[in-house]
Amino acid sequence: MSFTRRRAVQSLIAASLAAPGMGRAFAQSTETFRIGALNPVTGAGAPYGSGMQKMIVAAVEAVNGAGGAGGRKFDVVAEDTQTTPQAAVLAAKKLIEVNKVQAILGTWSSGVSLAVVPLTNDANIFLFNTSGAPALSVPPANAKGLSYRFQATNERFGQAFAQIAKKEGYKNVATMAFNNASGIGNTEGFRKAWEAMGNKVAASVVYEPNQPSYRAELQKVLAAKPDAIVTGSYLADTTIILREWFQLGEKTKWVIPGWAANPNLIKALGNEAVEGILSVDSVANEQAASFKLFDEAYRKAMNQPGLDNIYAAMTWDMVIVLALAMEAAGPGADTAAINKKVREIANPAGTKVYSFAEGKEALKKGKINYEGASSVLDFDEFGDVSPDFGVYPIKSGKLERAYVVKI
Amino acid sequence: MTDLAELIVSGLVSGLIVGLAALAVSLVFGVARFANAATGDGMTLGAYAAFAAASASGSLLIGGVVGAVAGALAGLCSYALVFRHLSGRGAVAGLLASIGVAFVIRAIMGVAFGHQQKVFQMPLVRPWRVFDVRIHPTDVNLSLAALGTLAAVFVILHATPIGRRMRAVADDPALARVAGIAPGRVMIVLWLMAGAVAGVAGALIGVKTVISPEMGWEMLLPAFAAAILGGIGHPVGAVVAGVLLGVMQELATPLVGFTYKIAISFAVLLLVLLVRPRGLFGVHAGAR
Repeated sequence: MSFTRRRAVQSLIAASLAAPGMGRAFAQSTETFRIGALNPVTGAGAPYGSGMQKMIVAAVEAVNGAGGAGGRKFDVVAEDTQTTPQAAVLAAKKLIEVNKVQAILGTWSSGVSLAVVPLTNDANIFLFNTSGAPALSVPPANAKGLSYRFQATNERFGQAFAQIAKKEGYKNVATMAFNNASGIGNTEGFRKAWEAMGNKVAASVVYEPNQPSYRAELQKVLAAKPDAIVTGSYLADTTIILREWFQLGEKTKWVIPGWAANPNLIKALGNEAVEGILSVDSVANEQAASFKLFDEAYRKAMNQPGLDNIYAAMTWDMVIVLALAMEAAGPGADTAAINKKVREIANPAGTKVYSFAEGKEALKKGKINYEGASSVLDFDEFGDVSPDFGVYPIKSGKLERAYVVKI
Repeated sequence: MTDLAELIVSGLVSGLIVGLAALAVSLVFGVARFANAATGDGMTLGAYAAFAAASASGSLLIGGVVGAVAGALAGLCSYALVFRHLSGRGAVAGLLASIGVAFVIRAIMGVAFGHQQKVFQMPLVRPWRVFDVRIHPTDVNLSLAALGTLAAVFVILHATPIGRRMRAVADDPALARVAGIAPGRVMIVLWLMAGAVAGVAGALIGVKTVISPEMGWEMLLPAFAAAILGGIGHPVGAVVAGVLLGVMQELATPLVGFTYKIAISFAVLLLVLLVRPRGLFGVHAGAR
């Protein structure tokens, strides 16, 4: 027993000593730039994760097909975050230490991105995320400016919610938030914007995940007799909460982020229960040529329209942005040199381009401005983008866009 | 006042389900003498089996029965393939192996059913009003199913020969062997029973919430807490403790809010264990 255990420990140590050395040797001998595709394939992000991962692979094919970026070809190592920070950290460690990736793309859910960003900062590599937590914009999370967010911040979601509540004529609004940086970010963003308009939040509840029932939480919020409830929530908890709410027979309006109020929610609860709920999501850059390219690739890989997965559009853009920045920085550029080019190739002034091949050509003539599939992708000083928000009321089991809110 | 009553009702229903899960933990601990971390994933398996059967037959009852059967089979398989070979290796070996079994079950569920949430399709109905307290028909049905399962387990434990043998092994394995009780059959019945209880618990949580491959694993902590509070290895204790923790949690929410309600149940656990280290119903005082 003790002998085998000792031998097991010895072999583990031997393996862990050998692995980094091997990785380094391998990295030196190839002309590749390795990307970690770290996506929520399982867990709460599962409806989006595999699409996100496949679009990283598809965009990488497009880049490599166009001759690579800055003389280098991309190589993808895929991992699953399981939508939990613990699993994500283990996967990120493996990507960084064993696979020697030079950028991590596509973390979803703020808890995950906030847990991974210290690792990418320590390793001096990029983290492109699709998370909303306001904390990701500023130090310590973004101390090195290597973290870019392709999604609107929760704060901006909250601002959009406040505008929607005003437009819909709600007076007495309550909030319910999943207890994490993203959920609370949403409702806090709402509260700030809503109070700035001279209103008050009627009641607010922060709840824990994985509860067998949310009856008590609902009771507290409904006691304030709100005419609408704004949430920062995910699909599973929203399903449980709305089912209990509907069965209580209350008449309340709901404003729910699009990652929770999606076709899966309608399927879970039936048309009657979700009728009239307002789903809010950032709008893809639907009219752009970049979106058409993404949509084609998404249909090919997933057999679904690209509009179903805004996060996959974001991961598609991540690869293109990284590739264009590398192309602009030239062969052999390190992370810092590539980082200097990110805003230069994505923000205005410059020829508008919609694909990597197009951008690569245009870069020979001068400055470019990549217009993404997920949004126009203009990064502010914090590495955040400002997409527009679509409001999708659920009517007879369908999400139909009613109007667009700009913040 | 009605608010308080509704909180108690809500806590009772959640507590009964957690109590069932704790019972599955406690049964295994009492006889096989290790904390079975695969209990949660046995619940997940029961939930998926119930979901598949209910979707195919349109009956939640059939779903529940299939969930129980699937759970029982999973329990039996895990015993035959893994835990039988580890008997006598100590509690840590059993616990670690059960974590492995849990991973295997979860991975199979993920591959077989995907990671999208699954939801039992049932008509959404309005609650009954009893003295102005809203009581939900689904909750009543779930509680009845939980109570029925508990009754069945206690009848088996206390009114059948195999139950008597099981309790004998739980009390003193060596003495039971001397008295001519073959551990093999006792173990088979034990794993069938614990698996079935976990399967039912999973099906009930699946009806009440949503089904995902991780659902059972996430219920494991409250189930362990209830099993410990009740006096580990004590079936009645596990159920009572589950209900107690469920109700305490809900009742505490007006005072401490929703973020800390889980902490409340662990505070209760700590307090009880400080005063009574063997748990509410436990008889074994420390190590022998």
